[in-house]
Amino acid sequence: MHEEVVAYVLGVLDEEDLEEFERHLDTCARCQAELQDMAEIPSRLDELKHLPSAAEDDPPMSMSR
Amino acid sequence: MCPVLGHLAGKLESTDAEAEHRIAVLYQEFGGPLLRHVRKSTGNDLQWAEDVVQETIVRAWRHSARLQWEPSLIWAWLLTVARRIVIDGRRRKSVRPHEVEPPEVDMLAVPDGSERALSAMVVADALRSLSEEHREVIEQTYLRDRTINEAAEILGIPPGTVKSRLYYGIRALRVLLRDKGVAG
Repeated sequence: MHEEVVAYVLGVLDEEDLEEFERHLDTCARCQAELQDMAEIPSRLDELKHLPSAAEDDPPMSMSR
Repeated sequence: MCPVLGHLAGKLESTDAEAEHRIAVLYQEFGGPLLRHVRKSTGNDLQWAEDVVQETIVRAWRHSARLQWEPSLIWAWLLTVARRIVIDGRRRKSVRPHEVEPPEVDMLAVPDGSERALSAMVVADALRSLSEEHREVIEQTYLRDRTINEAAEILGIPPGTVKSRLYYGIRALRVLLRDKGVAG
């Protein structure tokens, strides 16, 4: 259950797991702390979309130097 | 009304008033920053961003017990809730053929400064230095707007494995970004 905190922060948790995880979050200090630590990670990943080669059908990993 | 019920009603009323007050404070404290944050992921679509902030605040109201958390945790939770609302909205739009309008297009058309591009390069570098397994799940979930179960099906591994790899992958990424001073 604890590992779901990252999927939760990224917004990729499936609907059926979402409510259950939020209930868990209410009582889990560890997940609350990790939520705070990870909260800005999605914004950092979003920055990849500012790179021209990060278009829809061209994943960031293909940007070889 | 019997004294006990009367007392209870009074208590409920004051709890409601308290919750409303907390919502007002919440808007005051977080409304502005939240809107600025959300606008980045709605491709500067202000109307959409305002709707997302409103829905986020409504959800916070429904779970007013969480408003007793410390402010930095409330902020992290609000960001997460808002992000999910944006993602769900984007998914709904993309299933309607005539409304396909990737929010990133604006951003790609108008490059907004070398500092941002530099930061993006740092993130790309950090992703590249993760293990293949970790990088793959980050790509197949968040970067492609897919849920855990969808990514699990595509990768042919159990959803629990995707969750676990995503957890350790993102933690590793966060350490790398923190070392490079862009963890946020």
